[in-house]
Amino acid sequence: MSAISAVGLKKTYGQGDERIEAVRGVDLEVRAGEVFGFLGPNGAGKSTTVRMLTTLMTITDGTAHVGGVSVSDDPHGARRKIGVALQEAGLDNRQTGREILTLQARLFGMNAATATARAQELLELVGLVDAGERRVKGYSGGMKRRLDLASALVHEPEVLFLDEPTTGLDPASRITVWDEVRRINESGTTVFLTTQYLEEADQLCGRLAIIDDGLIIREGTPAALKADLRNRKGLDADPTLDDVFLEATGRTRERAAGEVKEV
Amino acid sequence: MTTITSPPHTTAPASTGGVLHDSLLLGGRAVREALRTPDSLAPTMFIPLFFLVVNVGQAARIFPSGETPFLFGQSYGAFQLPASMLLAASFGGAALYLVEEIEGGYFDKLRATPISRMALVLGRLYAEFAKTAVVAIVMVLLALAFGIRIASGFAGFAVLILLVAAWAMVFSGFLQLLALKTRSAAATQGGSMIFFPLLFLTPNFVPRDQLTRPMEIAATINPVTYVMEAARSLILEGFDIAALAKGFGVVGASMIAMLALSVRMVNNYD
Repeated sequence: MSAISAVGLKKTYGQGDERIEAVRGVDLEVRAGEVFGFLGPNGAGKSTTVRMLTTLMTITDGTAHVGGVSVSDDPHGARRKIGVALQEAGLDNRQTGREILTLQARLFGMNAATATARAQELLELVGLVDAGERRVKGYSGGMKRRLDLASALVHEPEVLFLDEPTTGLDPASRITVWDEVRRINESGTTVFLTTQYLEEADQLCGRLAIIDDGLIIREGTPAALKADLRNRKGLDADPTLDDVFLEATGRTRERAAGEVKEV
Repeated sequence: MTTITSPPHTTAPASTGGVLHDSLLLGGRAVREALRTPDSLAPTMFIPLFFLVVNVGQAARIFPSGETPFLFGQSYGAFQLPASMLLAASFGGAALYLVEEIEGGYFDKLRATPISRMALVLGRLYAEFAKTAVVAIVMVLLALAFGIRIASGFAGFAVLILLVAAWAMVFSGFLQLLALKTRSAAATQGGSMIFFPLLFLTPNFVPRDQLTRPMEIAATINPVTYVMEAARSLILEGFDIAALAKGFGVVGASMIAMLALSVRMVNNYD
């Protein structure tokens, strides 16, 4: 069964001359249990697609299902199937970590005792028990990400959406998040991950899609995408995922003053 | 750090606890937030008291209690008290906190939960109700210490607090609507200034029939007038059913309009 499916997904903003097509017809099929990477340059339509799939944005055209539930026809049903951790760790800085998790659990229908127990369990699991009574305002970036991840898991979702979960994190925190994503996935949760870090996609994702200018331009396993580029270009060695990305999006790299930059 | 376990294919509980349950949960969070930022309550208390003292100080000798029929034997402070209470009701920080949450992403986190959109709107407004009720009670107790009486007695006192606190919900609700539309703290803060013309285009200093004709017309079409007159009737006269019906009618109609517009806004929020 598909964990996520989208057909002809479109999002348009504005009207007339100011009409902008942020997503122009995305088709997606993510199988249950996989880690699916969604890559693209800034402004390509990654976050817009995630926001439509997670009920946070209205869909202009097309259909989307998560866990078999139509996102637009039954948004509450879809919300019960998904966990969401967006680019900004969406947390209330004036509450403590424990309060945030407990509230989240109660909003997903748990009674007070169950919610309290679930909050404790999650604090233990993300290593934040000692910080549980502290207000989130005093947390480091890595702690906020872990708490955000924990709050997305509070109701044991079938599908976890992670929108650039490691942006802004130091390397150690990034590796910690990667480990957690792997473990979450090993326990059976489907993960839909957007990232700008190609190494991250290579490390974590079984399959991935590259979106540019609102359309999916490549889709497959990292190995298949690399092999395809190697064959098409007649390369002697396997290219990196960076090469696949740059070739797909029509961008090139040039080395100037010792730095590699996209142009 | 240890492992996060997320057992597969378990479905979240079939339903949440309903609008009241969910909005009370969110209201509790907003109350905690208010208790943790006591400095934000200070202007709500002191600015209306400042206006009360200044207005009474400037005009009390013009309206001596024994010779001014519309005071019903009380001091001019009793006449001014409702205006200050309604000013206090307009200081709610719900909308600004909402802008903060929109900017920080927590509002999206809440929108991604399977709770009623009405609960999302109402949560912070319950806290506004509670905060304003506390401030209004303190203001009335201070007024009692200065010799002002509540003509309608203890029951009237309770109705007065209910009216003012419910108006705080309505006013804060419209500011939340503005926050949802603009997502800007500056625009929301600017929008809150609308209360000043609304407050001053009322029978703020004298009863409506003693205003100049243009001001009387303006006051008559201003809904805040009826809330103020209802509050004033409880302090000066007792239970004036007609005045109370108009006051609560304005609050009720405004509440329904505000909630309908807010839920529509949240449903179409991108």
